Amino acid sequence: MIRASRIARTTGLLAVLVVAALGFILVNPGIRPRPGSGFAESSERRPKASRQLVSIQPMMPMGGEMCEWAPASGFARLAASWHGVRTAQSVSARIVSAAADSDVSVEISRPPLRVISDRNPLFSAIAIEPESGMLMVTDQNLFQLLEFNRLDNTPPHARMTEPKRVIGGPLTKAEMMCAVYIDPRTKEVYVGNGDTQRWLPVFSKDARGNVQPDRFLKVEGAVAGMAVDEQRQELFVTIEADKMVLVYKKTASGNDRPIRRLAGEATQLEGPRGIALDTKRNLLFVSNTGNAHSLKYDADITKSPVQIPGTGRFEPASITVHSLDAQGNTAPLRIIEGPNTQLNVPALMAVDEERGELYVANNTGHSVLVFKVTDSGDVKPARIIKGPKSGIKHPSAVALDLKNRELWVTNFGNHTATVYPLTANGDVAPRRTIRSGPADEVNLLIGNPGAVGYDSRREEILVPN
Amino acid sequence: MHGIAYNEVHDEFYIPTPLSQAILTFRGAANGEEAPIRVIQGPLTQLDEPQRLAIDPVHNEIVIAQDRNVLVFRRDANGNEAPLRKLTGRDLRPYGAAVDTVRNLLVIPSESTGSGPDRGKFLIFDRTASGEAKPLRVIGGDKSMISRFSGPMAVYPPTGKIIAGMRGETGAELATDECFVGVWNITDNGDVPPHYTIGGPKGVLQMVRGVALNAKHKELIVTDKRLNAVLTFYFPEIF
Repeated sequence: MIRASRIARTTGLLAVLVVAALGFILVNPGIRPRPGSGFAESSERRPKASRQLVSIQPMMPMGGEMCEWAPASGFARLAASWHGVRTAQSVSARIVSAAADSDVSVEISRPPLRVISDRNPLFSAIAIEPESGMLMVTDQNLFQLLEFNRLDNTPPHARMTEPKRVIGGPLTKAEMMCAVYIDPRTKEVYVGNGDTQRWLPVFSKDARGNVQPDRFLKVEGAVAGMAVDEQRQELFVTIEADKMVLVYKKTASGNDRPIRRLAGEATQLEGPRGIALDTKRNLLFVSNTGNAHSLKYDADITKSPVQIPGTGRFEPASITVHSLDAQGNTAPLRIIEGPNTQLNVPALMAVDEERGELYVANNTGHSVLVFKVTDSGDVKPARIIKGPKSGIKHPSAVALDLKNRELWVTNFGNHTATVYPLTANGDVAPRRTIRSGPADEVNLLIGNPGAVGYDSRREEILVPN
Repeated sequence: MHGIAYNEVHDEFYIPTPLSQAILTFRGAANGEEAPIRVIQGPLTQLDEPQRLAIDPVHNEIVIAQDRNVLVFRRDANGNEAPLRKLTGRDLRPYGAAVDTVRNLLVIPSESTGSGPDRGKFLIFDRTASGEAKPLRVIGGDKSMISRFSGPMAVYPPTGKIIAGMRGETGAELATDECFVGVWNITDNGDVPPHYTIGGPKGVLQMVRGVALNAKHKELIVTDKRLNAVLTFYFPEIF
């Protein structure tokens, strides 16, 4: 934790630098011709060799203890750019006629007018190691892996809880981190990258900052969920786009191939995301969103398949139950599916082998559903944790601390990780909450914005994620 | 989701869903867990991992960019319906689509094929081109700065401007300083440099994705994956 005075000093220095930078921008128009483009050099005033102090502004008074996130993404550059807003608008008109010539290329360096972004981490996946109290949470906004202590609890007035350790940055091979696992013996952390990357990096317990992983596995697809069988030393991952479960040796790295694959129409894997293991009963559980299509595989299902055009369909969300040893195009043992289940975009899951219970982060249902591991068909959950007191909003993952009899939930919808008694039911307030941002700050729910649209009638920006 | 298009005339927007091979149409004011008003899906559609799309409100058509072809549907197509036209070709690797309703042209950003440099190009077709039609013009080459496309692109028909995000040529996946949004003219042909670049190279953008235009306020709206943000630039030069 950094004291406010230190923050003020740092921010004051930053403010001076920003003002100096603004001065630099003001005397240097935001538009310049690309070298060799044929555009005449501007006759505007040019900067001198050194930066110029143009004004000093007093800092706003600050109160209380707080920290600033040191983002691992390009957010710092975005923030810097922000301060130059509107400086270049006035000069834009001057170059319009020049660029009408097709041989001219004009580099426009004016900063954005407005930026929509969340400055706080968005918690996604979660893992707990009860013996050491090590709690790892992935952040899909600033692309960081954060370590907390299981007993952390953000006071209501505090801005957020500072993590003990942060891993993040371009060297880490980690970005859309939608799955995480802690090795109970070595405390190594395994990270599953979804959507944008196919790497599965592994970090030592001492890794910190923008570091290369200790090793990484190039997975045959973007990982959606991950689980480990410590007894057999096997690593399971779901590949949503290719409707597969791949099983690797736990120590796999580089271009190592899977030791078995579960894939094909008979498996009824339809948009597989979460995965959980019951080694006691030799069962494998997979949550499915229901976004389905048919795939063409090679004879041995050893290569990534290709989609068969026109086979897309929307199926009900489900949990398919397979043998832990299942491979190839094998039908599930059972399926949990139907309106009574309340499954609605089910995400990551966890199993309590002692109690025989399956916990499901039910993302769009804003709930955690608890089923019996023996359930089948259109069954009601044994318990549902949901409601305003629970603080559960767009839950993306669950983790179980069986030693301390607690259930952890990451809420993608409200900057929190919340913890409940293992037997919680209904609208139960969390025992503790770890917040990554102010309680009253809106969560934008932006995650990998792959496109953008503009509704000109309502003057609204449409952001698909 | 990697595509979206709003249709001001009919006040609806369109989204491709690659895993369920569907095109969803929502009313413009859709909110919450609301069902689409139309769904194009089924064997006749030939939809195959549709990623990006464009709307032609003048001719009432939806243009879908897929891995190896471009499909054109009626705007109000619903259910298991065949496309009106299909554009294919050995060198066609569509990464998006846009329609110039003024000049009756279709712009397809296409990624390179084969083992050469990972360099894209804009293919300019007649709007109604189908089959293995050849493009009227191609914009691409070293000077063009067209490298790897990074998301959906846009065309502003009144001025004939093409606007697209570029990843640069480093092959970086997480973030790169080579990222930028470039502007070309739809009448360009060959290795023509962008008329304007914004947000980079070596600018604020780290891994640009989609672009959209707000003509009323002369603004360019950009999403960036690495910044996980939506940025709006004042950009009167486009308009």
